[in-house]
Amino acid sequence: MLGELEQLVLLGVMRAGPDAYGVPVHDEIQRRAARDLTLGTIYKTLTRLEEKGMVVSRIGEPTAQRGGRRTRCYRVTPAGSRALQSSIRSLRRMASGLDVGLEPT
Amino acid sequence: MIRVCRWLLERVLPDDVSDHVIGDLIEQQDRGRLWLVRETAAALILLRAPRRRGDRMLETFLGDMRLGARMLRRSPAFTATAILTLGLSIGATAAIFSVIDPVLLRPLPYPNADRLAFVWERNRDGTRDNVGFQTIKDLADRSTSIEQWAAVGGWGPTVGDAQPEVVAGDRVSWTYFRTLGVAPAIGRDFLAEEDQPNHNLEVILSFGLWQRKFGGDSSIVGRAIPIGGTPMTVVGVMPASFDNVVTTNAKIWRVLGYAPSQPFACRTCHHLRMLVKLKPGVSANAAAAEMDGIFGTLVAAYPTQYASVGTQVVRAQDEVTRGYQPALLALAGAVVLVLLIGIANVANLQLARSVRRHEEFAIRSALGASRGRVTRQLLAEGLVLALLGGIAGAVVARLALPVLVDQLPPALPRLEAIHFDAAGFGVIASIILLLALALALAGARSDRGDLGASLRSGRRLSSGGHHAARSTLVVVEVGLATTLLVSATLVARSLLFLLGVNAGFDPSHLLTLQVSAIGPRYAVAANVVAYHDRLRDAIRAVPGVQSVALTNQVPLAGNIDMYGVLDPDNMPANPELVPSGDRYVASPEYLATMRIPILRGRAYTDADAADTVNKVTLVSAALAERLWPGQNPLGHRIKLGGPTAPPRTVIGVAGNVKHGGLDATTTLQWYAPESQWLFADNTEVIVVRTTLEPSSLVPAVRRAINAVDPTLPISAVATMDQLIEQSTAQRRLALVLFAAFAVAALLLAMAGIYGVLSGSVAERTREIGLRSALGAAPRAILTLVVSQGLRLGALGLVLGLIGSAGLTRFLRTFLFNVSENDVGARVVVVAVLGVVTLAACAIPASRAIRIDASEALRGD
Repeated sequence: MLGELEQLVLLGVMRAGPDAYGVPVHDEIQRRAARDLTLGTIYKTLTRLEEKGMVVSRIGEPTAQRGGRRTRCYRVTPAGSRALQSSIRSLRRMASGLDVGLEPT
Repeated sequence: MIRVCRWLLERVLPDDVSDHVIGDLIEQQDRGRLWLVRETAAALILLRAPRRRGDRMLETFLGDMRLGARMLRRSPAFTATAILTLGLSIGATAAIFSVIDPVLLRPLPYPNADRLAFVWERNRDGTRDNVGFQTIKDLADRSTSIEQWAAVGGWGPTVGDAQPEVVAGDRVSWTYFRTLGVAPAIGRDFLAEEDQPNHNLEVILSFGLWQRKFGGDSSIVGRAIPIGGTPMTVVGVMPASFDNVVTTNAKIWRVLGYAPSQPFACRTCHHLRMLVKLKPGVSANAAAAEMDGIFGTLVAAYPTQYASVGTQVVRAQDEVTRGYQPALLALAGAVVLVLLIGIANVANLQLARSVRRHEEFAIRSALGASRGRVTRQLLAEGLVLALLGGIAGAVVARLALPVLVDQLPPALPRLEAIHFDAAGFGVIASIILLLALALALAGARSDRGDLGASLRSGRRLSSGGHHAARSTLVVVEVGLATTLLVSATLVARSLLFLLGVNAGFDPSHLLTLQVSAIGPRYAVAANVVAYHDRLRDAIRAVPGVQSVALTNQVPLAGNIDMYGVLDPDNMPANPELVPSGDRYVASPEYLATMRIPILRGRAYTDADAADTVNKVTLVSAALAERLWPGQNPLGHRIKLGGPTAPPRTVIGVAGNVKHGGLDATTTLQWYAPESQWLFADNTEVIVVRTTLEPSSLVPAVRRAINAVDPTLPISAVATMDQLIEQSTAQRRLALVLFAAFAVAALLLAMAGIYGVLSGSVAERTREIGLRSALGAAPRAILTLVVSQGLRLGALGLVLGLIGSAGLTRFLRTFLFNVSENDVGARVVVVAVLGVVTLAACAIPASRAIRIDASEALRGD
């Protein structure tokens, strides 16, 4: 079972596409989940997920816009997707049939 | 901003992390500074390399502090009590130290302040005297340890003519400001050629006087202003920053202009202070040794002109704080005692609290927290509490300091420099550190017991060790409170004695005012005397005035005006050894107006005053006894003011008057009518005895004075009761502070005893229940609790009494007619502490009696 932060960050990485790094992941989570996480929180979660083998990272290219600094881009591994699926499925099963507002729309 | 963030991140985070985080921040820096700060802070905390041991400790410690803050929020009563106690005791300490720092500790605000010193003549009995001008010159000329010197004499000129005003000042050698190492901000310093007889018509103004009296007009420099009716040239204005510690209230300086040939420059004319700057490397002791040698040769050369036996060289820093040093140090000691009691009290509360938290700690250790870890958490909690207490203390100090400064004697040097500043914060910071440690130690004491046992039994254990610690703290508190209470009682008894002293006159319903007859018209003595007579008649006509008298000075107002009294038939070999008496050149009604009793003979009358040939005088009983022990003084003839003065017949003996203050030891006075005196006093004090409240007559009396001559200034308006209050102000302040400290200490000690007893009753519920089940009478249970409380109180009391025996000698300057070892004060303290201890026992004892045996035992 994944923690809430882990779920949010995994989904954020998926939505942000192939060049998912801190800023786009943050913006996705903010836009859809209305949660303003700090980059520190996101990278810390990503490091933990990487240790669990749910994401892999690669070092991107440095750009002038970033003051010559590189990006660290993340991608969700199959293990990550599986964990996410099972996590969301459990939540759905737990919520189904309960009061209004908990059913996924 | 981004640069600071980058620097921080590069410093703290490992390279492989900082690189992409910094990249993200640079890319997004448009989101604003706030965002940058937040992101940087979060990254710094969250992404720090986890493997470094120190970092992890810091992180846990920060976490512990957060936890500590949460725990404190959860027990608001404890937190509020602790912060209030700490805030008050830390605040009082910081306020007192903010006063002491500039006054006693910081060097005087002059370059080479450590080389400035005063030189005095030293009398046979160890007291000291001002120095005559010729002596100053001889000492300065022959000494090799002096780099520069100056003579300083008192001066109280009337400044201005439209609204004349008496201003405190000094007459000084031209070298005065140069010796101090300061210079006027506008204009120039005095010149050597101005420091000559008949040339000395130059003055320098203080910044404050220049602003107030001359509106800060810089064109005043170089112009002449009327001073006492004579035009004098303002040559300079001192800077606003000039802090005058030599004479704290001097606002105007005139160049001295003495020459050894002048009569008032004589060796026996002790009215100057000698200020010197020692050469570099010369100690005050070395200078004193040299001065003593020179003085010895002067005494040998002029044996009839010296009564003193040597000199005294006092560092300027010690000199200006001379009267205040012991008092301030005693206050500092007292406030430190209060602080210690406050800390002991909070530590005690913390101990009590940690007993209740035994289970929490037991669970933590069971879950794998090491003992060190638990201790660290306690330290963090202590630090949180100490920080909060420190903040409260800073607030208290800031609020209390201006109030305290208002109450300090106005003559205290460096009053302007007292602020709550770095020194105050430094004191608070060091207290916080000590406090955190003390609180952590208090917490850790409870951590000693067998944690496992605590969990298993599922019940609070009363560990003997912890109980002993609490009791010890309470005993210490009571001991410290006892010491403070003894001090406060001694000071209070002194003040009571002092206020009970018979000043020798009746101070109620007396109003005093000072008038100065200045200007060319009053250069003639007869005009001054006539003016005084007209004043007397005018004021006597004011409704509510019972009688009125004029005199050159009054008792208790801080005046020093003395003349040698010699009996031509009984002259000592050295004329310097004749007694000096306070000069009262006063109108005939003076003694009656003041209600000073006439013990023998009669007072002089207007008829005596009109007779310029047969001069008369009255002497005080003490002066009569000194001159003619055991004889009838009436009819003796004395000379006042030197062997060449005219002889006067003693026609009466007046009661002794405490001229220098209620605590004065000498009461030698003489009285003579103005018309028979050597000169007329231009500045005169009017004493009015009223039938109504004296201050209510001030406007009417002022009007009467102005009706006689509206151009002359009226100053120093005060009732005699106010003068008495002023003369005892310092003792009153000391009493208020000591009493406040003692009451605070007493309350804290009482709370301490109460806390220990109620804790002990709660822990012994079962035992007490068992006892009452086995038939113990309520009286026995009462005795059980009360005797525990009394044991604590008595032990502390004994320790405190022993401690106070050593400490109260620092109070000597506050004491009057009371020995520092006064038994009466101790008896009072024992009684007070007994009552307070019993009061603290009351609630726990009644709770113990009401313990229901069946309920207490049902738990098993």
